[in-house]
Amino acid sequence: MVGERESERAERGQGGGERAKRERERERERESERERKGRERGREGGRMKIASLKTLANAHHDGVWAATWVPAADGRPALLMTGSADESVKLWRADGLELERSNTGHSLGVVAVAAHPAGTMAASTSLDSFVRVFDVESNATLAALETRPSEAWQMQFHPKGELLAVAGGGSASVKLFNTSTWKADAVLLVSKGDVSDIKLSEKTGGKFVLSVAWSLDGKRLACSTMDGTIAIFDVNRGKLLHFLEGHFMPVRSLVFSPTDSRVLFTASDDMHVHMYDTENTTLISAMSGHASWVLSVDVSPDGSAIATGSSDRTVRLWDLKTRASIQTMNDHTDQVWAVTFRPPGGEGVRVGRLASASEDKSISLYDYS
Amino acid sequence: MACVYIPVQNTLEEVKVVLDQLPRDAADILDILKAEQAPLHLWLTFAREYFKQGKMKEFLQILEEGSSPEIDEYYQDVKYERIAILNALGAYYTNLGKIELKQREKDEYFMRATHYYNKVSHIDQHEPSTWVGKGQLLLAKGELDQSYSQFKIALEEQKDNIPALLGQACVEFNRGHFQESLNLYKTVLQLHPGCPASVRLGIGLCRYRLGQPKKAREAFNRTLQLDPENVEALVALGIMDLNTNEIEDVHEGMTKMQAAFEIHPFCAMALNHLANHYFFTGDHYIVEQLMDMAFVATDHPRMKAHSFFNLARSHHSKGDYERASVYYRASVNELKDPHDFILPYYGLGQVQLKLGDLKTALSNFEKVLEVHPENCESLKAVGYIFLQQGRLEKALQTFKKATRINPRDVDAWIEMGELLLSSDLVAALDAFNTAHSLLKKGRDPMPTGLLNNIGVLHFERGEFELAQRAFCEALGDGFWRNVTTGLLPGDVPLPAVYGDRDEFFYQLENEGVSLEVPAGKITVIFNLARLFEQQHQSDKAVILYQLILFKHPKYVDAHIRLAAMAQARNNISLSMELVNRALKEDEINADALSFRGNLELRADDWLKAKETLKGIQSMSDGKDSYSTLALGNWNYYAATRGEKKDPKLEATHLEKARELYQKVLVQRPNNLYAANGLGVVLAEKGLFDISKDIFTQVQEAASGNITVQMPDVWINLAHVFVGQGQFGLAVKMYQNCLRRFYFNTETNVLLYLARSHYEAEQWQECKSVLLRAIHLAPSNYMLRFDAAIAMQKFSTATLQKSKRSADEVRQSVSELKNALRLFSQLSGISSQHSHGFDEKKIEMHVEYCKHLLDAAKVHLEAAEREEQQNKQKQELARQAAMAEEARRKAEEERKLQMERRKREEELKRVLEQEEYFERIKETWKVQGREKFHAEDNDGEGGANEKKEKRKEKRKRKKEKRSKEQDSEWEEKDDVEGEPQAGLQNEELEEGAQDALAAAGLLEDSDEEDAMEKEAIPPRRIRRKHAVADSDEEDMGIQDSPAAAIPNKNESDVEVPENRFLEDSEEETFDTSTALEAKKRRISDSESE
Repeated sequence: MVGERESERAERGQGGGERAKRERERERERESERERKGRERGREGGRMKIASLKTLANAHHDGVWAATWVPAADGRPALLMTGSADESVKLWRADGLELERSNTGHSLGVVAVAAHPAGTMAASTSLDSFVRVFDVESNATLAALETRPSEAWQMQFHPKGELLAVAGGGSASVKLFNTSTWKADAVLLVSKGDVSDIKLSEKTGGKFVLSVAWSLDGKRLACSTMDGTIAIFDVNRGKLLHFLEGHFMPVRSLVFSPTDSRVLFTASDDMHVHMYDTENTTLISAMSGHASWVLSVDVSPDGSAIATGSSDRTVRLWDLKTRASIQTMNDHTDQVWAVTFRPPGGEGVRVGRLASASEDKSISLYDYS
Repeated sequence: MACVYIPVQNTLEEVKVVLDQLPRDAADILDILKAEQAPLHLWLTFAREYFKQGKMKEFLQILEEGSSPEIDEYYQDVKYERIAILNALGAYYTNLGKIELKQREKDEYFMRATHYYNKVSHIDQHEPSTWVGKGQLLLAKGELDQSYSQFKIALEEQKDNIPALLGQACVEFNRGHFQESLNLYKTVLQLHPGCPASVRLGIGLCRYRLGQPKKAREAFNRTLQLDPENVEALVALGIMDLNTNEIEDVHEGMTKMQAAFEIHPFCAMALNHLANHYFFTGDHYIVEQLMDMAFVATDHPRMKAHSFFNLARSHHSKGDYERASVYYRASVNELKDPHDFILPYYGLGQVQLKLGDLKTALSNFEKVLEVHPENCESLKAVGYIFLQQGRLEKALQTFKKATRINPRDVDAWIEMGELLLSSDLVAALDAFNTAHSLLKKGRDPMPTGLLNNIGVLHFERGEFELAQRAFCEALGDGFWRNVTTGLLPGDVPLPAVYGDRDEFFYQLENEGVSLEVPAGKITVIFNLARLFEQQHQSDKAVILYQLILFKHPKYVDAHIRLAAMAQARNNISLSMELVNRALKEDEINADALSFRGNLELRADDWLKAKETLKGIQSMSDGKDSYSTLALGNWNYYAATRGEKKDPKLEATHLEKARELYQKVLVQRPNNLYAANGLGVVLAEKGLFDISKDIFTQVQEAASGNITVQMPDVWINLAHVFVGQGQFGLAVKMYQNCLRRFYFNTETNVLLYLARSHYEAEQWQECKSVLLRAIHLAPSNYMLRFDAAIAMQKFSTATLQKSKRSADEVRQSVSELKNALRLFSQLSGISSQHSHGFDEKKIEMHVEYCKHLLDAAKVHLEAAEREEQQNKQKQELARQAAMAEEARRKAEEERKLQMERRKREEELKRVLEQEEYFERIKETWKVQGREKFHAEDNDGEGGANEKKEKRKEKRKRKKEKRSKEQDSEWEEKDDVEGEPQAGLQNEELEEGAQDALAAAGLLEDSDEEDAMEKEAIPPRRIRRKHAVADSDEEDMGIQDSPAAAIPNKNESDVEVPENRFLEDSEEETFDTSTALEAKKRRISDSESE
């Protein structure tokens, strides 16, 4: 043993010079890498970031389940609209989050809110399956659309505003309402066969349709279901084009890119956000990082970032170039049910805003730049 | 040519004997000597000559003859020669004794020597040489003090007796008194400057020992000048050179050793040193030859031990442990005392360790430690042996000592860290980190295992960043670095392919990206992937697992992790496929099989699951506790499985489950999951107190460990609270559980929570929880049904209340409307899909709600009327109060006025009187003085009297007034009180009627509705009855409206069970990583 030690030492002595050289080389490598990273960070840092502006505690009496921006109209700036389990819909002025108005009229919790692109009217859905369409200015009810239980879930207005798409819950369909007659224009079934195909199994919730999203050009409509199915429709032909594979758990939120009509983002209970090419049905990226269900996703107006809200109580910002999470906000203390970027437009509104709403009864506003 | 001439007796002739040609037989010489009566000194000469030629026998023969009694008699006068002969014999035997190893013979030789010396003493007591001889003898015997005194006597006889001086020097040297020894040698040199070179050698040795290497060297050199062939001096110089550790000197030393070797090839010391040198140069062959020579050259045990050691070491380093062990043992056998030469013990220990003979190895290392208690290497070896023997505590102590002695010993820190893994993770991590920083400081190559272990420990403590740093450091450069940063070469984000990625890897390889995964790094990559998985960066985790499988498809754990991840995303078919792939690689992998069983259970494939689990059991002889546990769960599910319930079967299944859980607990008393299972079975049997104890303990244990996530036990504990009617506690427990483990997303727990509220009759809370649950799981229509029930209950309860406001009634009416709406919508749905309710039942509820609504109208009217009346009453009361107030004010005013008036009157009167008095005074003034006085008195008295009277009057007035007021109040009370009482009565009657009606309705509409609180068990029993009696349709769930909720009670233990299976699955995998790390580590130490 003594001998072994001795010879070892001798070996070390000889190898010393060589190793030192290697060490130096590695050092140099590391340095260059650091530099590169620093440069990257610099670039990124200049590009996107969110910063908390204000968190309004107890914005509602109960969990806030839905939030969206009502676009600016008639000299009125964009308003933040929130819906809550306390059965009310509230409108807020940015940046102070002052209450503009509180609408009642729903029984049971408000699960979804949607705003017309013109910013004049809006819709809200509650657990009692009523869709209430109202005038933003006057809060006059324009239409009350009743559906069967839980046959109304998330909604979205057509980018041009002619149609309102309502996720049809247990009916396994998406209903398209004409925004002038308030008659159902079309019913798009999430099935390639007929109704009898659809079975709601207890375990997965089957094809219970949770959410809908219009593509930028309004030609495509995507909807998502409890079992993770995502269906893409050709709206003009009223035809189901294809399904997107990859999720096997509820997809509660989905949104098309505002810059590329093909690209769709989906948020699922499987803790992932998927990025799909809707035309050739490929999964471009699966972004992970949330510790629990991803409840909500929205794309920034410039299309370079997405924000997600999760039941892990965080809001995350993702860079779409690297497809990596670059920021995590911890302003909420319970599930974050909604994240929403303020649409561009309106007077003097050049800065980006992101809002989030949470089960903890609060809403938060962030600066996005 | 040296000759000896023996004078022939009585002549002048002499016999010439050539010394070189001594007759072979000493008897010839003896004959001559005896015959010629040769002088004794000649005898001596011959004996000496024989001795020189190594003919001991002849030497002895002559001397013994020369010391025989006849000779003594004959040569009686020749004192000196006789003494010399005896002394020579004594010295001879002394020497023999010194060399002899066997104690008995040694003693005998010494005895003989003593005998001869004693004989000498008889002849002449004062002969110094005798004393010297005796001294030598005692020196040889090791009795230094006595020998010293002998030499002293000799010196007293003859002051400058050189041999005695030398003897004393020797004694002093051996006593370690080097200075004294040196002085003696110096004296000798002064007395006898021409003395042999060996005296200077002695000086040199003393100087050397005194730490005067320069002077020592001079002395040795002088010795060599005098005697160029003095091997000892050469060797001593050589050793000195070697010890300088300077390359040149070492070289010089070696030449000296070689010179010594050439002069005297049999100097064992030189041979050993030469062998030592050649060992380090790796010339094992030369070592062996040298040692062979050394064995011939010396009988000295220590020298021999050295030689054996050299040989053994040579074999040891060649890896020939068997022979090394033989030689080490031979070396050890040569030694009497480990203190003389400890290295062979160490070597032997090492070799025995290698050969797996832990026990003897341990004893050898312990011997080393006796001599050198602070020897780190031996401590480590001992620690390692303890570890191997499972004596962890001792091993830990040993390593702790080693690290204390040498805080820079990396190996010891690593070993200690590993030992601590089982007991103290924090300390283990500290140990590893110390080793890590030591290695870093030393710029030594970092063992992958160490970094891996550091990473795993950080991982387990939840310090993910540190863990990642450690893993990345362990991995160095490679494709994984791309994965870690999330960017492929050229800053391309990782692609998202969930299934097979081999294509992608091939493509990368074609692009020139190296995907090599060295065998030593698989574990680290696996752990890194686990880390990413834990941080929910599953894309990176997946690609790493797939990378491992791409290069090492047999790495089953990666397959299983991928399968687990797919399962977590609910992709059951992919998960199954991956498990099957793992099983293709390794058919009997218990982990993979367990996973498959779990999947089958999830897919409701009961029989297959059972088969799979039983398969594991038979493979592992029932030792695999996971499958035992899973089988327990299986039986439990089977017992509580909904529809077709057979009480007998249920009991057997429960019993079987209990048995299995207990079996696990016998094998592993710390198994939380089995304990939990046992608690569940006991709770199922109604033994709430015991099960509560169990759950509480499990909960405590689980909260103490951050790696264990066990929400089930929280839920079960809450269930027990519900069972015992402690709803408040149950609610708290469910809420904590939801928050802590599920991010408030688990609808089943929400359902339990709602149920607790329901049982506690907190309808609003119940409803709000259910609404949250619906929001989370909108496709679960049962929740809507439950919510409707809660609302209906709320309304009923509110309407039945004896006192309630119109607002409350209105609220209950609107709730009722909501409930009705939900019920009717559900009835619409249930005709279309099967959601697990009975249409009739819903219809019944719809009807009931409608009835209730009608009834509520009356209530509402009544309430509104009441409200109206209340308002009126309030108005009246207000008016009355106002009137009263006004009246009171007026009265007061009046009184005030009256008083004022009175006072004014009085004042007037007084004034009048005064006036009158003045007037009288005027008249009195005229009259006499005395009279005036009297009048004055009188007047005063009168005034006083009046004042008193007035006071009295006022008092009475006050009394009166208060009395008046009192009576007024009373009156008022009467006025208000009576009608009110009447109203209340009316209302009460009405309320009672309504309540009766409602109650009647309740009973009418649904006899077994069980809306009112009832204990859970009877309800269940009744349901069973229903099933048994009437073979109606599936009564399981849709039996009664309330049953939808109690049903949870049944599912309650079922659902968490599901979960717990998953958890325990995860648990096994987590530990598998830790094991992995450990395994890895062990293999490292093996390779060392």
